[in-house]
Amino acid sequence: MNQSSLSTTRRRLLGSAAALGAGLAMPAVLRAQEPAKPAELIVRAWGGVWVDSLKKGVSDPFTAKTGIRIRHDLTEDNEIKPRIWAAVAQGRTPPIHINWDTTANATSSALRGVCEDLADLPNLAKVLPLAKPIGLSGVPIVNLYSYVYVLAYRPEVFPGGPPDSWNVLLEPRFKGRIALYNDGIGFHPVAQVMGGGKISDIPANMEPCWAFIRKLKEQKPLLGEDPDFTNWFQKGEIDVACTISSNAREAKAKGVKVAWTVPKEGAKVDTDGMWIPKGLPANELYWAKRYIDFALSTEAQQVWLDGLGLPGVAPGIKPPADLVGDPSYPTSEKDFERLILIPPKIQAEHTAEWFARFKEIMQS
Amino acid sequence: MALSSGRPGLRAGPSAGAPYRLSWRIFDALEAVAARWPARAEGTVKWLLLAPALLVVGLLVFGLLVMADASLRVMDFRTYQLSDHYATANYVRLLAWGAFHATLWRSLAATVLVTLACLVLAFPYAWALTRTASPRLRRVLLVGLFLPFFVGQVVRAYGWLVILGQQGLLNQALGLLGLGPYRLLFSYPTVLFGLVQYMLPFAVLMLAPALAAIPEEIERAAASCGASRWRALFRVVLPMARPGLIAAALVVATLTLTDFAMPAILGGGTNDFLANLVHDQFFRTSNAGLGSAIALVLTLLGTSVAGLLLALAGVGALGVRGAR
Repeated sequence: MNQSSLSTTRRRLLGSAAALGAGLAMPAVLRAQEPAKPAELIVRAWGGVWVDSLKKGVSDPFTAKTGIRIRHDLTEDNEIKPRIWAAVAQGRTPPIHINWDTTANATSSALRGVCEDLADLPNLAKVLPLAKPIGLSGVPIVNLYSYVYVLAYRPEVFPGGPPDSWNVLLEPRFKGRIALYNDGIGFHPVAQVMGGGKISDIPANMEPCWAFIRKLKEQKPLLGEDPDFTNWFQKGEIDVACTISSNAREAKAKGVKVAWTVPKEGAKVDTDGMWIPKGLPANELYWAKRYIDFALSTEAQQVWLDGLGLPGVAPGIKPPADLVGDPSYPTSEKDFERLILIPPKIQAEHTAEWFARFKEIMQS
Repeated sequence: MALSSGRPGLRAGPSAGAPYRLSWRIFDALEAVAARWPARAEGTVKWLLLAPALLVVGLLVFGLLVMADASLRVMDFRTYQLSDHYATANYVRLLAWGAFHATLWRSLAATVLVTLACLVLAFPYAWALTRTASPRLRRVLLVGLFLPFFVGQVVRAYGWLVILGQQGLLNQALGLLGLGPYRLLFSYPTVLFGLVQYMLPFAVLMLAPALAAIPEEIERAAASCGASRWRALFRVVLPMARPGLIAAALVVATLTLTDFAMPAILGGGTNDFLANLVHDQFFRTSNAGLGSAIALVLTLLGTSVAGLLLALAGVGALGVRGAR
């Protein structure tokens, strides 16, 4: 696997330790100039364990500190996007204050120019460089943690130990019992490797990726979204899946026998972030920025990401006990060697094209 | 009749203990206004009555025009903005896109199959509902008809997940017989099954009035002329029930063609219909241009299906007065 093109990104991620300094409190002078507090801020979030963790780790403590109520809007990230775009285009106040979003999806909003610049967040100076998006001007999005698209599996079908290759997806015994995301997200780089291609050829030549996905189509995979994976494992519909480790962990927390691994060919790593749409009143913009700044703090990330089981960008976060040494919770250079990061800008610019190819194969 | 002419007497009379209601006063006022309506402007009344409907249709047409405009603009994924200039690229792309062809044929095939299945299944139900002599059976059939309307489509689809899943009720029952478990979900037949179950009440609701309008004496007359039960059914009842059959086919076909939830929930991600493809373009890839193009094709298809049905049967088949 050729990951040379990603070495810069990885260095950026790992070298961040050097950038971590002592925590600095917000200057008192800034606090004195604080604008009027809104009664509430609206934060778009994903449901289930995602919003529960955010509430516990970020929203409730933020309310305790500032007195500003936080309302969570569970509209899907893809569905809130056109509403925000329309509001900004028409000069209306956007429907939410903060969008918790995948970085790739958020990048499309940044490319469209609807995101406020977040470069002045005080905590940005104290966190991993990964927090700042790659390839975009300014800081329209703040990345908050990374996650891995792991190979999740039912341990009872692998009595000899965890599968060590993504090739298990092609085993005849799993026909009709494998699952992927319904837009192929998280799987393209792995399919590129499995199809004999190079990561450095993304996006110019992805034929190996499509060749592997065509093989996978013969396995009659189920295609779904985050909640589907947990449900399908729970209901015994699938044995193996490419999904975010948090979903597998949630299923496990619900008593489902499920485990996960990062196979030898590697797995895709991605980030989620937060951004603020343009068009908010000045005081609301200020407090929305304060919310994201708080979400960057070690204090908030420790509780929030403990719930999600994901490594954050703030310094000094301890992994949850069940994830110490887990390959889906990368902390060392060795862990990152097996992970594949595709810059979000490349993802955003090619999402539609990849989606069209994936759909063409899966729907035909 | 002018209510106002009689009301003062009621108000004044000894038997008029009840107060003169506000609603009566409002209607009195409206009548007074109507009385001053110029006779030569009477032709405008029908247009005034039609105005709300025309407004709704006008908004729909406006929306279609906006979508037509977007469908002729191409998304630039470096800026996520639609182009300023017009181009047919989105339509050209549809011609060559395999996923579009697959979902198009899947949607059309489902439209035909679900419509036929619903007509076949709805007819005996509607027949029993309108012909049974037992009030109790009629009540049961009516409850059976209307109960599904209280449960939304998404809830019903999730109900099938519970029943047909690997660990669902059906597989558990089969397990007691030493069979299965079988994969019953996430296939095209499952989607069709869910659609038939969802659309059947609509078909019955459309058919029942048409069957109720056929006098039972006509069937008895056919029998007295020597027609067997089946011959009377095919030669007398079915032709007379044509308005109901056409109306049911129209409703079921257009709803099936544009359905989103059943393929999304029961299809397992690989049995999408055109509506799912539209949703994907707007909300997953943010390509409003291509999404609009597919939406317009879908609208055109729906209109064509309705037009074809009416062309085959004639508008008069719907029982519209004066139509042929």
